[in-house]
Amino acid sequence: MAVCVAVIAKENYPLYIRSIPTENELKFHYMVHTSLDVVDEKISAMGKALVDQRELYLGLLYPTEDYKVYGYVTNSKVKFVMVVDSSNTALRDNEIRSMFRKLHNSYTDVMCNPFYNPGDRIHSRAFDSMVTSMMIQVC
Amino acid sequence: MAQCVQSVQELIPDSFVPCVAALCSDEAERLTRLNHLSFAELLKPFSRLTSEVHMRDPNNQLHVIKNLKIAVSNIITQPPQPGAIRKLLNDVVSGSQPAEGLVANVITAGDYDLNISATTPWFESYRETFLQSMPASDHEFLNHYLACMLVASSSEAEPVEQFSKLSQEQHRIQHNSDYSYPKWFIPNTLKYYVLLHDVSAGDEQRAESIYEEMKQKYGTQGCYLLKINSRTSNRASDEQIPDPWSQYLQKNSIQNQVYVKNNNEICFSVDGLPNNFRAHPLQLDSSSDPSNSIDDPDHVKSASSLHETKKANTGIIHGACLTLTDHDRIRQFIQEFTFRGLLPHIEKTIRQLNDQLISRKGLSRSLFSATKKWFSGSKVPEKSINELKNTSGLLYPPEAPELQIRKMADLCFLVQHYDLAYSCYHTAKKDFLNDQAMLYAAGALEMAAVSAFLQPGAPRPYPAHYMDTAIQTYRDICKNMVLAERCVLLSAEILKSQSKYSEAAALLIRLTSEDSDLRSALLLEQAAHCFINMKSPMVRKYAFHMILAGHRFSKAGQKKHALRCYCQAMQVYKGKGWSLAEDHINFTIGRQSYTLRQLDNAVSAFRHILINESKQSAAQQGAFLREYLYVYKNVSQLSPDGPLPQLPLPYINSSATRVFFGHDRRPADGEKQAATHVSLDQEYDSESSQQWRELEEQVVAVVNRGVIPSNFYPTQYCLNSYSDNSRFPLAVVEEPITVEVAFRNPLKVPLLLTDLSLLWKFQSKDSSGKDNEEARLKLFPHHMGELHILGVVYNLGTIQGKHSLSMSVRGRQDLEIQGPRLNNTKEEKTSIKYGPDRRLDPIITAEMPLLEVFFIHFPTGLLCGEIRKAYVEFVNVSKCPLTGLKVVSKRPEFFTFGGNTAVLTPLSPSASENCSAYKTVVTDSTSVCTALISSASSVDFGTGIGSQPEVIPVPLPDTVLLPGASVQLPMWLRGPDEEGVHEINFLFYYESVKKQPKIRHRILRHTAVICTSRSLNVRATVCRSNSLEDEEGRGGNMLVFVDVENTNTSEAGVKEFHIVQVSSSSKHWRLQKSVNLSENKDAKLASREKGKFCFKAIRHFIFHPSEKYTFADIIFGNEQIISSASPCADFFYRSLSSELKKAQLSVHAEKQSIEDAVRLIQKCSEVDLNIVVLWKAYVVEDSKQLILEGQHHVLLRTIGKEAFSCPQKQEPPEMELLKFFRPENTTVPLRPSVEQLSNLIKTSLHYPESFNHPFHQKSLCLVPVTLLLSNCSKADVDVIVDLRHKTTSPEALEIHGSFTWLGQTQYKLQLKSQEIHSLQLKACFVHTGVYNLGTPRVFAKLSDQVTVFETSQQNSMPALIIINNV
Repeated sequence: MAVCVAVIAKENYPLYIRSIPTENELKFHYMVHTSLDVVDEKISAMGKALVDQRELYLGLLYPTEDYKVYGYVTNSKVKFVMVVDSSNTALRDNEIRSMFRKLHNSYTDVMCNPFYNPGDRIHSRAFDSMVTSMMIQVC
Repeated sequence: MAQCVQSVQELIPDSFVPCVAALCSDEAERLTRLNHLSFAELLKPFSRLTSEVHMRDPNNQLHVIKNLKIAVSNIITQPPQPGAIRKLLNDVVSGSQPAEGLVANVITAGDYDLNISATTPWFESYRETFLQSMPASDHEFLNHYLACMLVASSSEAEPVEQFSKLSQEQHRIQHNSDYSYPKWFIPNTLKYYVLLHDVSAGDEQRAESIYEEMKQKYGTQGCYLLKINSRTSNRASDEQIPDPWSQYLQKNSIQNQVYVKNNNEICFSVDGLPNNFRAHPLQLDSSSDPSNSIDDPDHVKSASSLHETKKANTGIIHGACLTLTDHDRIRQFIQEFTFRGLLPHIEKTIRQLNDQLISRKGLSRSLFSATKKWFSGSKVPEKSINELKNTSGLLYPPEAPELQIRKMADLCFLVQHYDLAYSCYHTAKKDFLNDQAMLYAAGALEMAAVSAFLQPGAPRPYPAHYMDTAIQTYRDICKNMVLAERCVLLSAEILKSQSKYSEAAALLIRLTSEDSDLRSALLLEQAAHCFINMKSPMVRKYAFHMILAGHRFSKAGQKKHALRCYCQAMQVYKGKGWSLAEDHINFTIGRQSYTLRQLDNAVSAFRHILINESKQSAAQQGAFLREYLYVYKNVSQLSPDGPLPQLPLPYINSSATRVFFGHDRRPADGEKQAATHVSLDQEYDSESSQQWRELEEQVVAVVNRGVIPSNFYPTQYCLNSYSDNSRFPLAVVEEPITVEVAFRNPLKVPLLLTDLSLLWKFQSKDSSGKDNEEARLKLFPHHMGELHILGVVYNLGTIQGKHSLSMSVRGRQDLEIQGPRLNNTKEEKTSIKYGPDRRLDPIITAEMPLLEVFFIHFPTGLLCGEIRKAYVEFVNVSKCPLTGLKVVSKRPEFFTFGGNTAVLTPLSPSASENCSAYKTVVTDSTSVCTALISSASSVDFGTGIGSQPEVIPVPLPDTVLLPGASVQLPMWLRGPDEEGVHEINFLFYYESVKKQPKIRHRILRHTAVICTSRSLNVRATVCRSNSLEDEEGRGGNMLVFVDVENTNTSEAGVKEFHIVQVSSSSKHWRLQKSVNLSENKDAKLASREKGKFCFKAIRHFIFHPSEKYTFADIIFGNEQIISSASPCADFFYRSLSSELKKAQLSVHAEKQSIEDAVRLIQKCSEVDLNIVVLWKAYVVEDSKQLILEGQHHVLLRTIGKEAFSCPQKQEPPEMELLKFFRPENTTVPLRPSVEQLSNLIKTSLHYPESFNHPFHQKSLCLVPVTLLLSNCSKADVDVIVDLRHKTTSPEALEIHGSFTWLGQTQYKLQLKSQEIHSLQLKACFVHTGVYNLGTPRVFAKLSDQVTVFETSQQNSMPALIIINNV
């Protein structure tokens, strides 16, 4: 289902990035990196007034020829970016939304690990397997 | 989009200007050629009007035209070839590079600071060239020729004739169907006759007359006399004339050059009208493919000629024959032409078209559209003719009324009448759309949008959707990318001027396609600029599109631009954790730089990929590495003599660098085993290094009479990160210095390092080694001085398969070691300062002696207490004599070199294995039980030098070891008493005969590892003999019980132990004889057997003047081992001194201030009897019987206390409970224990064992009893003897019966030191029986002590007496 999942720190460096066709990793890196501009744009468009009730899900960031890029931002400005094959029509907004929520929960678990140093790259096996499950479901 | 020099309001009018053709006669062409210019080029700098122009529009309104520009060009009869245009554009772009010292703008977006050049001149020149080189098409008229200049020269024979010829020619070109190109605006083109006159050569009057003739023929408005060439070109150009052509012609030098080439053709052509057959200047051979033209051999010639012409071009001064007046004349001519010729023509044409339009409108309004077409004369609706229909819809014939509107619109547009142009375009658009003529419609839409934008006062917003539709139509329906591109360029520029960057970017990106890399690259770059120029800059999109642009640039062969794009994108990705992308960009930058021969940049870019902890796959890393090495190799080939550059790989862990001074250790050579010394193979161990340091301090202190000199530093042979590196280390000439460098390979691919060598600042020669992880490099200093080791030089290569050639480059890496952080003063604590590290800067000093030590027959396994003889060989391998050889060890009891005098040392025995290590004397076996006595002093045995028994001088024969000499000395070893593995450190100390200021001494280390196994366990006790002294028993007798247990578990193949001799050694006591308890005369002990010996010891009063010990040997075999000789005595003294040291330590640990009295009391229970048990062990090893010898020592100190040969294992102290209150610090006054006090007086009762008494005669039996009281202490003792029975218990009475002491029941006595006093007592018995006489209670106290209580003295054994009745 997802072909690439990335967690980006507040300072816009990658905490975690994994893509399934590993031979084309670079392309996804570029794609995710570029999508951050759109994330920034969407965040600034939302304004600051309603921080608490803000919708974390940002929706479709931009479509490319083969992929769709979705975004999600936590309250601590950590961004989740998911790249989905655009040929996959089974995925609707709701599914994407729930996937992001799952990702967020798992990310929170990682953060709760007292041995995790915030800002480090994520090397959690649990997180890894969760991402794998999200990627494999359809693939 | 980047900023442009021209605003959009200037750009668009300049891009669409009235076009005028020029047709020159040969002669006229020749005249202009004198200036190295064609006629069209001649006019080019002056083609912009300096003044405003007025004209009247169809409604007779006055219309002002500002900055009108006209474009004059030679007639070219073929449309430009797309390939040629592409090449031209390519050249234009590659010719325009960012200026070197261009100050880039700094854009701050979020946390990004980007240096971005705001302008992109290559894009502007591309756009200009692109718009100029647009081929004229049928659906629009903007670049159709409005007029034609016919140029002839005054020097021609028949100028008027020539003019008519030219006129015919023009007519032929326009109306003959052979020529579909160029396009003409309207059928009756304005012809303007220009007579060129060469002022310097021609006849002025003739020219004037011809001009007059022309005026009559063509009217004053239609002809002009242009005088040029006022000076001859060969005249020295003393007058500096500005060259306005250069900026027009240089800019597109290629284009120029094509012109030049063509013009050269003209010069040689003999044909009357060569222009006709001239190819378009942009046309290339059809075979030529611009993409690969450079390498194609066919084009080498053209390329080289191209090069020549280019060179020639730069040397050419344009307009050499023109004076400033000529310039003015030309300007005047253009003005005249425009005012009098062109504009009235345009005005007239517009009027005509307008009239047509109005009439048509009238018609179309009144008639149906179907009939409209029929009525509009010659117009044939192409819709009905299917074959003429192409993909872009239908084609109109040139005279179609729809096209007339378009024509009028274009004309209005060209003369900047945008209002009118817009309404015309709008009308035309509707018509075209109705007719489904898509190409036409798109063109009209495009121009409608542009003119709407350009309308003064902006009455309507810019119709962007017109543009979008136009672009889409051009691209998708008409498949005309060129038109689409023009549309996009215009629209994007307009959007940019309205700050609609996002839309502009979208437009630009949409037009990128596979068919043109150059266009895509430029558009992507502009899109990137759009992103960065947005109100909230989109940095990452900018970077991404820059990368895409860079990619397309590199595909288009624009390497420099590609590199620039990647570099700009790099700023965004750099150091943000996007390592994969960063690596990719760096890799590309490296490659592009390499192809551009910017090798330094290439190297640094590749370096970046390699030095950061790369997350790439191994294959990728291998590729990076190969590429890097390849580039690097090229760099180094360019400057082979330059300094070797720094290599990034592998990492050097410089703090792990180790330096070793000295030769490598020789491997063991047969029985010879070299001293372990120090080597790089040893791991650093702070504990052991501290031990070595202490040993060295000890020996140095001994050498310097007990003081360690202030400038003493422990010798360091191996420097590492733990050693003290603050001083310059000292190295010795002719001794190698080994440097170990720790390399780490951060990559997943193996690296191959070859020809590794050190780099230093001191002339010398090197040798090299190789190691994957750590490399050891050696250098030999040949001179004294200071050496600085700077770094390593090596070849870096990859390990590849067998077939491919492995590549390697040579480079260096510096070794810079940071010292430890200083943390002593306050300043150092508050700041971060590092001390120096001088590991790599040794000082080479003069020659020093060098000792090598070998051990021969050195055992690795021993029984506890076993004595083994080995040999030590000392070799001086240097060229200086050495002296003062000493050895120091923490375990001096382990070895000895024998006594000081030869008498005491047994001669070196023959090689026989079973020969005893001891000095023996054969005795007859009869004298078994008596002791043989000898004496020796401890001084003779090398122990006890001052307070440092650990420092042992080596008895060298001459105290000096000459160069090359070697000495072999015997050495006895005794297995330590504890079982297990022992590491024994020897430190050999020696000095040079000549005193060196820098190095006073040298050391050699050896660590021996000995594994000991259990042998015997000896326990001994001593107690007073109660029996009355015999003949000489003055000083008191002692009984010594020795328990010997075989604790060997026979894992070493020990069959049995034989106790061969027991010796005593004491200053005051000696063994007298053996009191044999057991029948086991030969004292064999099999495994786990225990034997008990009892000896009688007596005090002897032969006082020796010195500290001499008396040795007494009691032999069980038939050989006496002389215990007072080496090695037995050696080991005895050594164990004694070590024991003493321990005792001292424990005393020190106790309280120092023991009262004298207490000590006195203690003393009386002390003995100093030392027992040496000598044994032989029969060992079966490899079915061979071996006899091992050994000795155990037991030091008896206290009477009654058990002493052991081996220290008893101490139970590890139990974990102490945590106390939560402070323990009360009660100091108990030290006093002697009761036990000690009870040993003051020794008592013994002397009485007859049985006494016969006739009770029937006398009922009372009186027995005399002597009570002997002997004072054991050295002080006076008060003694109270109480004879009264104290026991009150009835049983005691029952058992012993009762008897009474007669006479005085209590005695008070004072006994002097060692005095024996006898008391005559009388015991009275009333019955027969057995009685215990041991009832007298003796109390004693020191006479001069008041505080000490009287203590009951130890009761002797029951003294039984038998009373018989007779």
